[in-house]
Amino acid sequence: MEIEGYNFPEGLYYEKNHFWARVEGDLVVMGMNDYAQLMSGEVVYVALPPIGKKLTQGKSFAKVESGKWLGKIYAVVSGELAEVNEELEENAKLINDDPFGKGWMFKIKPENMDELDNLMTDPEEIREWLNAEIAEHGVAS
Amino acid sequence: MSEPLELSKKYQHMVTQCSRCGFCRAVCPIFDITKNWATNAGGKMVLIKEILDGKIEPSEGIAKSLLCCTTCMNCTTNCPSGVDPPEVIRATRKDMVNLGYDNMFKAMSDVIAKTGNIYGEKEKYDWGHKHERAPYVLFVGCVGTYREEESVEETINLLDILGVKFTMIDEVCCSGVLEDVGYQAHKNLAKHNIDEFHRTGVKAIITTCPYCYRVFKNHPFYNGLNLELQHITQFLAKHDFKVKTDKKVTYHDPCDLGRHAGIYEEPRQIIRKIAPNFVEPERTRENAMCCGAGGGFRGSSPKESITIARTRLRKIMEETGAEILLTECPSCLHNFRNAKLRRWNIEIYNITEFIGKLYKEMDVRKNVAA
Amino acid sequence: MNTMHEFIDIVGEDNFSDKIEDLIPYSYDASINVYRPDALIWPETADQISQIVTIANQKGIPIIPRGAGTSLSGGVLAIEGGIVIDVSKMDTIIEIKIADRYATVQPGVICDNLNKELSKHKFIFPPDPASSSVATIGGNVATNAGGIKGAKYGTTRDYVLGLEVVIPTGEIMRTGAYTMKCVSGYDLPKLFAGSEGTLGIITEVTLKINPIPLHAMTAMATFGRLEDAGHAISETMTKSNLIPSVMEILDKVTLTSIRENTPIELPECEAMILTETDGYTWHEVEAQMMVILEILKKNNPLAIKTAKEEKERMELWEARKTAYATLSRISTGVLDDVTVPISKITDLLTGIQEISQRHGLIIGTYGHAGDGNLHPQILYDSYNPEQVKKMEMVESDLFHLAVSLNGTLTGEHGIGLSKADYMGLEHDKVEIEVMKKIKKALDPNNIMNPGKMALHL
Repeated sequence: MEIEGYNFPEGLYYEKNHFWARVEGDLVVMGMNDYAQLMSGEVVYVALPPIGKKLTQGKSFAKVESGKWLGKIYAVVSGELAEVNEELEENAKLINDDPFGKGWMFKIKPENMDELDNLMTDPEEIREWLNAEIAEHGVAS
Repeated sequence: MSEPLELSKKYQHMVTQCSRCGFCRAVCPIFDITKNWATNAGGKMVLIKEILDGKIEPSEGIAKSLLCCTTCMNCTTNCPSGVDPPEVIRATRKDMVNLGYDNMFKAMSDVIAKTGNIYGEKEKYDWGHKHERAPYVLFVGCVGTYREEESVEETINLLDILGVKFTMIDEVCCSGVLEDVGYQAHKNLAKHNIDEFHRTGVKAIITTCPYCYRVFKNHPFYNGLNLELQHITQFLAKHDFKVKTDKKVTYHDPCDLGRHAGIYEEPRQIIRKIAPNFVEPERTRENAMCCGAGGGFRGSSPKESITIARTRLRKIMEETGAEILLTECPSCLHNFRNAKLRRWNIEIYNITEFIGKLYKEMDVRKNVAA
Repeated sequence: MNTMHEFIDIVGEDNFSDKIEDLIPYSYDASINVYRPDALIWPETADQISQIVTIANQKGIPIIPRGAGTSLSGGVLAIEGGIVIDVSKMDTIIEIKIADRYATVQPGVICDNLNKELSKHKFIFPPDPASSSVATIGGNVATNAGGIKGAKYGTTRDYVLGLEVVIPTGEIMRTGAYTMKCVSGYDLPKLFAGSEGTLGIITEVTLKINPIPLHAMTAMATFGRLEDAGHAISETMTKSNLIPSVMEILDKVTLTSIRENTPIELPECEAMILTETDGYTWHEVEAQMMVILEILKKNNPLAIKTAKEEKERMELWEARKTAYATLSRISTGVLDDVTVPISKITDLLTGIQEISQRHGLIIGTYGHAGDGNLHPQILYDSYNPEQVKKMEMVESDLFHLAVSLNGTLTGEHGIGLSKADYMGLEHDKVEIEVMKKIKKALDPNNIMNPGKMALHL
């Protein structure tokens, strides 16, 4: 679905630091959302921490850089880092080109799938949150 | 009203001296990955010559093309005809801006003015470590503070372990990079730093960033400094360290420390004390390949900049088989760390960071043994 | 579809440019000519080149093959506009087969990089043009590049066993062999070598490679009279019963410039000779050098120095290596490469001095005396129209002089554009007609590097 002109595919969970999550078997996949990838410009680097790293929902565990910006990556759920998208090492631009597909960033083995309930799925809730973000950070193009 | 191209005109003779022999191609980090002569020194010399000869009008495209240079001076070192392309390119970048062709660094200039750092980080990082009556002040700069803070922490830690009495100041950007990309450093920011330095009553400045070192040493805005100035490798060259590693270690000469500031020996003196198994890369010292970050290139072409670092890293690994790559420049460090692939086993550190870590390991071993 | 879009479809956006800021550098090479192309393409495969040339041939679009662009004769300039095909991205060493003594490379491989790989096997591709750190094998083959070791080891053409070429009508041709000898059919590799990109674009080269000689010894001698130096060279090349691996000369103008502009210490003299012998055993190398030293001594040298250790040998080489650079720091210049039979070296040197005096332009001369190939470097102020005119007259006199001594306009750099007007001076009408026939047969629409070598059709 489109919210305020940005792509927010249905069936995904949305995190307030501009990440998305979806369930894949017993793992949770995460990536950057459309607004963030447009705001950041072409991503040139994503830190890919070691597999097994302990993550806590809402805490940052890695960094992402575009030409002008350094951003923190926040864990969408608590758990263990299970997989990283190694394609991003030499082609970080996938995050811009296909943020919800080929541009996925991490797969987490969650401690507790229920934590996903802390994320947003309701379009109205997302719209309200997004408008506040746009008010603070501006429109991305 | 200044004459158009007044800065480039000073280099008319030099630009004419270029005989288009192409030797700069063999050593240029950008040409290495693009194979496009326009991205190389020789190509730029003919472009600038045509502009000076009035054969072509300056344009947006030309101004942008001139940003494509890390000012690493590999070309200068290798030029048989005595041309110094980065000097000329810097001058022409300024002329382009004066002609109205602003580039992306105008925004950086505004950001530096507003936030005091090149990244526009609104929350100014405070390193603390403020001491009365210390003989030295440590200045770390923007790249270390906002992009490689762990490395800076280790460096500070090392100085503490060595018992160096130093203080830190409320830093603002040296803003020197603006001079490389067509703009000017900020006088008020220089004044702030100078006032801060003088307020501390120190006798000498130690910097971790070779670029800040160059700016403090050479830029007219810092003429009022009147303090001894050393890069941290110069400061630590005569120190003794109680740690060693038997790992195979190699060293990358940062362009700003090596070719630009002539500091080659001191980093090596330090490394030889702590790493007897030290091996030089093939392209080293005056011929060291650039990491790709300099001259604004990391800002204007970040992807290509990282590709250059990756190429340099790959070659160093192939040539030396080193387990550890050392350097002493936050920009080189950051570019290499961004470029390193997960499957590569090499570890990358600033020299001071690495030594700090060795001390920590030694402490851990002592505690375990105790 | 617009033709440029067709090209972009073939190679991708990243390998195409028609931006002015890219076209301008590519309007230049190391000669003084300037011609702007319409577009630039960096192909990555022979197949891409074939597709591009096929289209260009159909539409009459000039194609200019280019390697590193270090041509000293305008060979890579788009006189009639068109597309420059820069092969620099095709820089893979395809195969090194020591057992069969050949190496196969893509045209964009840099000469020194090939030798770096070959040296791991203790082999070498001997031609060593001064530009070897940047020049490409494709360019070396197209211009039959020479170098300092030419007298003993020959030139690039002597090492070309086989080629893959995209001919002007677009087809890909493979010619030559992987064998040391082959006389099967016309010797097309030898025709294409030195054809300066006018008969096709080279997309693969198979080169004969030699084992690296194990030892070398260098000698440097200075002379008070040019005639003595010239005589020493002649005698060495004809009466010694051996071929030195290096026989270089530097004239007084060059030596004075070096003495006055560099920290290198040089005695006052009229000429300097630099010579080397190489071989498998020290005994052989020294025995050969003894013979040469005897000859040098007989010709009134001012001083002779010899060296066997690498470091000392490099010191003797310093002056020769810095000649071009030092002269070009004094002023812009034009570098020529007139070549005469060995016995005429002295006449050529004195003739050049006389031309210099007549026109009032400084000419520093140095080069491969051992194969009669000298490099007069004509210094002049390119912004002064009078000096430009003088330079042109000097060149004309130079070419006339070389031909009058039974020589050729160019030993290594090629005719390109710079010497095209003088082709008639050296070549007879029948020969030029035959060249034109060959050109027309392969390139009926005259799209392949048109306007070069005076083969205007």
